[in-house]
Amino acid sequence: MRGFIKTLIGDARNLACIAIIIGVAAALIASPARPLAGLLIPLALLAAAAYLARK
Amino acid sequence: MSDTGVMIAAFLTASVEWVEAFTIVLAVALAIGWQRAIAAGVAALAVLAVLTVFGAGAMNSIGNLRIVQFIIGVFLLLFGLRWLAKAIARGAGLKPLHDEAKAFAKLSASQALAETRGAMLVAFQGVLFEGLEVWLIVVALGVQTGHTAAAAGAAIAALAVVMAVGAALRAPLARVPENTIKFLVGCAILSFGTFWTLASLGYQWPLGDYALPALIGLYAAGGLLLIQALKRTADLAPR
Repeated sequence: MRGFIKTLIGDARNLACIAIIIGVAAALIASPARPLAGLLIPLALLAAAAYLARK
Repeated sequence: MSDTGVMIAAFLTASVEWVEAFTIVLAVALAIGWQRAIAAGVAALAVLAVLTVFGAGAMNSIGNLRIVQFIIGVFLLLFGLRWLAKAIARGAGLKPLHDEAKAFAKLSASQALAETRGAMLVAFQGVLFEGLEVWLIVVALGVQTGHTAAAAGAAIAALAVVMAVGAALRAPLARVPENTIKFLVGCAILSFGTFWTLASLGYQWPLGDYALPALIGLYAAGGLLLIQALKRTADLAPR
């Protein structure tokens, strides 16, 4: 079961990164900065990839 | 998105996973015979087929497009980020490249293969766990684009290719450029995940569907830059 869950969501760091980024995306889309979401979220995901690559 | 895009993504993802599954089945086959090893592998594939039908059915039954888009988008983000981060770490030399020959040697020497039932369980679990990522991609891309059969067909085609080459060589498929494929698939899956997650939250992509190739290009360029930057950091780090 643990292997199944890990395959679906990865480890806690991966899950935390995506949870934070989705929270930021929701806030951005609800704000006047909405048009920037399409650029800022991919950049945030690249930053998360760099963080996870170093762990 | 076209059939072709879904099929390429599913084929490449499946190829990487089936190569790893083949290494496990090969090690088990050399310990307890091909018949039992294949039987265990086929049982795992049957479970995956049931999961695919069940998963696609469950997603289609939700009915609300935005909720389906959000669930699938989040799973693709989780999957794509993991693969891209792993490929970047390996490309930058922070983690060793996956070595099929080494994995095969380690498993062959393992006590788990000493007993027939235990070895069959190793083959079953190996194929099931490697196949779960294939299942996730087939269901996610298939349901969202309405091309589940095409995605499943591509995954089966990848299985056929890996099995044919593996059966001919009777050795681990160590020369498959696993990290390059992982990097490309990571970029593509992360792009689908970004596109659908933001769309489900109400964001309208300025380029429409053309934003997808732009995202893939952005992640690929960013990933390559990160590999170079992390390589430099690793070189400068005190040993």
